[in-house]
Amino acid sequence: MQLKKILTASAVALGLTTVSAFAEYPERPINMVIPYGAGGATDISARTIAEPLGEAVGQPLVMSNITGAGGATGSVAVQNAQPDGYTMLFARVGSHTVNPAMKATLPYTLDDFRFVTVYEINPVACAVNPSSGIESMDDLIAKVKEGGVSYSSSGVGSLLHLAGAMVLRQFGIEDPLTQATHIPLKGGGAAATAVLNGTATFICTNSSALASFVANDQLKVLMVTTKEPVVGFDAPTANDLGKPALNQLVGWTGIAGPDGLPDDVAAKWGEWMAEATADEKFLEQMTARGSIIQLMNPEEANAFIQQQYETFRALVDELGMRIEG
Amino acid sequence: MSFTDSLMAGLSVVGHIEAFLALAVGVAIGVIGGAIPGMSATMAVALTLPFTFSMQPITGILLLLGVYKGGIFGGSIPAILIKTPGTPASSATILDGYPMAEKGEAGRALGMALWASCTADVISNLSLIVFAGWLASFALSFGPPEFFTLILFSLTIIAGVSGDSLLRGALSAMLGLLLATVGLDLVYGTNRFTFGDPNLMGGLNFIAVLIGLFAIPEVLAMAWHPTAHLGKARSLGNEWVTFADYRRCFKSIVRGSLIGVFMGSIPGIGAAPSAFLSYSEARRNSPNKLNFGKGEVEGVAASEAGNNGVAGATLIPLLALGVPGDVITAIIIGAFMIHGLQPGPMMFVLNVDIIYGLFIGLIVSSIFLFFIGSAAIRGFKYVADIPKRILMPAVLVLCIYGVYAVNNNIFDVGVMFVMGWVGYFMMRYHIPAAPFLIAFILGPLLEDNFRQAMLMSGSNWTILFRGPITWFFWAATALTVIAIVRLAMSNTRNRRLVGNAGDDS
Amino acid sequence: MTNRSIQLQLGIGACIAAVFLVLAAIPTWVSAPSNVSNIILSPLFWPYTLGTITALVGLALIAAGFREPETDEPLNEPIEDPQNAWLRLVGAAIIMVATMLLLPRLGMVWTCMLCFVAMAFLYRTRHPVAAVICAVIVPLVLYAFFAHVAGVAIPQGHFVRLP
Repeated sequence: MQLKKILTASAVALGLTTVSAFAEYPERPINMVIPYGAGGATDISARTIAEPLGEAVGQPLVMSNITGAGGATGSVAVQNAQPDGYTMLFARVGSHTVNPAMKATLPYTLDDFRFVTVYEINPVACAVNPSSGIESMDDLIAKVKEGGVSYSSSGVGSLLHLAGAMVLRQFGIEDPLTQATHIPLKGGGAAATAVLNGTATFICTNSSALASFVANDQLKVLMVTTKEPVVGFDAPTANDLGKPALNQLVGWTGIAGPDGLPDDVAAKWGEWMAEATADEKFLEQMTARGSIIQLMNPEEANAFIQQQYETFRALVDELGMRIEG
Repeated sequence: MSFTDSLMAGLSVVGHIEAFLALAVGVAIGVIGGAIPGMSATMAVALTLPFTFSMQPITGILLLLGVYKGGIFGGSIPAILIKTPGTPASSATILDGYPMAEKGEAGRALGMALWASCTADVISNLSLIVFAGWLASFALSFGPPEFFTLILFSLTIIAGVSGDSLLRGALSAMLGLLLATVGLDLVYGTNRFTFGDPNLMGGLNFIAVLIGLFAIPEVLAMAWHPTAHLGKARSLGNEWVTFADYRRCFKSIVRGSLIGVFMGSIPGIGAAPSAFLSYSEARRNSPNKLNFGKGEVEGVAASEAGNNGVAGATLIPLLALGVPGDVITAIIIGAFMIHGLQPGPMMFVLNVDIIYGLFIGLIVSSIFLFFIGSAAIRGFKYVADIPKRILMPAVLVLCIYGVYAVNNNIFDVGVMFVMGWVGYFMMRYHIPAAPFLIAFILGPLLEDNFRQAMLMSGSNWTILFRGPITWFFWAATALTVIAIVRLAMSNTRNRRLVGNAGDDS
Repeated sequence: MTNRSIQLQLGIGACIAAVFLVLAAIPTWVSAPSNVSNIILSPLFWPYTLGTITALVGLALIAAGFREPETDEPLNEPIEDPQNAWLRLVGAAIIMVATMLLLPRLGMVWTCMLCFVAMAFLYRTRHPVAAVICAVIVPLVLYAFFAHVAGVAIPQGHFVRLP
């Protein structure tokens, strides 16, 4: 133990010298936390932007997947990190609007983070199994009124969970929680498979997660929630169906730091993101997956997230979906 | 897509030097990892996993499969030489391998272990290629009720890995099931045993639990008795296995391989029971019945065929259903998901190139195993020279790095340490660790699929009996439970008879 | 410890654990929403089921323990210095706790070096010099591999950073 004391003491002395010599940000690699598992939508998006972003930053970006609890574990890791700009988070719709709206016991709120950007929007699409005989949203709603309809999600508090309820509510179902059954599965892949094998009736999720099934005619798309049609998805938009309120229901990916992030750091991120999202290869890769690249500065990002959060929160309160325990 | 197209697509993803290099490196890591007692094939795979994150999917998965196959063979080296199975799967190899080593026939035993392993490997891989596609087309009919019955059936097989006491195995399984409840509830998203800690909300990290349960108890046992290992290795002997030996044992090897394929294709059984079953079948049918247990080369052949036959076949449920057959394939499933591949029926549609690439790689892996295994047998004595009291701290440090790297979370290192103490306690109380792990994996699946089935049907129990698949697994479960209970009862009766006889004398 | 005493101790332990789970742990630390439609869907259903089965296994272990013939055969190999062995186990526990405390502060490389040396000396290794050399090299090699080959953000601590 004596040895450790000496080492600690000398290390403290060393540490003081290194901290006082604080150079211009960023002087060392930046740790980028991805709160979801590798291979998921957030992970792919993060690793795609890491390349042009790393060039813009001029320092390596170290990508760390910290998974668990629907993005909460990784988010908390960043919430508790030093607000020095060396630990940043890839925030996602699930971890930063759906979860805060639905979970009372979540260990963080939106105020614990400072958003520097939102750069990607994912349209949401609703799909059914082609053998179900459901051809349109009207068919689906008629079926819900008969009873026995279920929808799959990648877990409680995921975008898919909220999306199913929100779509049904918008189409005039009084109480979507009891008139349709929510079947939570482990992960987005399992949720799509559940519709394929008839475990669930329909699914509302990011269009990119459905693209290959739709291309193979294994799933039939009923609707997309954006204003504009989505390439490869032969289905009406929410506006075509007269439900513009559903435009709020989109997925997004952004970057956030802990709450106390200094202004100059946030400003730097704004510049870097502008440079990174202009990259041709990045744009091509992202749009090929069905994402819409839409760069927001810190103010726009905050306003966008806040508005989506309030929409979701109102729906959660109206339907009594809030998780208290 | 025709078979040739698929094959060409597969070749295009594995037909480069990195893939084969990864496979060879994997087999080598596996043989060495499996050969170090307390390291085991499972841990070797778990520790290799983080290195695959940055690789191409097929390269990473072939690396892991190489480690898996190498590890299952590698376990037989210390089993034969120092009576310590490098992996649980090689426990049966001890029965005849160690007596052979005592007779100075260690080289012959090791050689036979290698030949039997490679033969079984080939048979197992061929079964995978022939049956996996067929299973995949039928696997889509597996909804929550089918999975529930399948997993229920798989849980009964815990009895096969419980070792000498069924009840202690059951206790171990209960511990695993209880720990697996930590985290957020699937249906309502509420907290269960999380104590408000966000690190616990995601549940306990499986790899941290696994390494804690297997590797750390060895580190602690070393602290309890630092000199227990001294003076236990011996020379290889000059005699090498002959082709005549191989021909004599060929029937047992093929039988063992088929047992391995059958046991491997059913999730949750694993290699150790398969090796024991193969061994006992070989003994029942061999003309040298009486020599078994006293250094019979056919016994080594049968055990090794039994455990290596499992290696390829566990990939059948993994690829066709997305269900891990044992602990190692559970880790390999993680590797698939990390690369965005969802093992299951859709993989045969969406990732045909990967599937056929894997098939090609697997066939090649048997050849690699043969050459690398031969080299390892000759080189092993040098590895064995590392003083164990330096080796174990190194293993501890390796575990800390490995567990951290899985989820970039220091909390998981703590989980590993705590599980290490749990594992050490279980070791002292002779509670087998394997049921714990199988239960830890299958428990949440059982609960989730049960609740999903109930949600689907509006809490109507009859959905659990909705079709021939569920009926089949219900019947299989009932038969297995009856067999286990009868076996356990006759065992206790025998033990009491032996005990009473001991009192009389 | 004989086979019989192990069975009895484990059985009693399992029963106590089960009672604790059912009466205290599950009601306190498992929260269930008030609007659960069906008891079998409640988050409490599965933990209670497990608690009950644990109690049954415990009772079966006790019963099996009583049916077991009494022998003097100990299950674990006896060792020469039980008292020191216990001390070494406590030492291992202290090393692990210290490792956990130091990891976020000192960083993984330095902590692992200390941990390696402490563990090797706890085992009273016959090769102290080799142990110290390995203690320096192994964490460094692992760091180089994990940080630069596998691209993992190995914790660096507040003090001395490695490239």
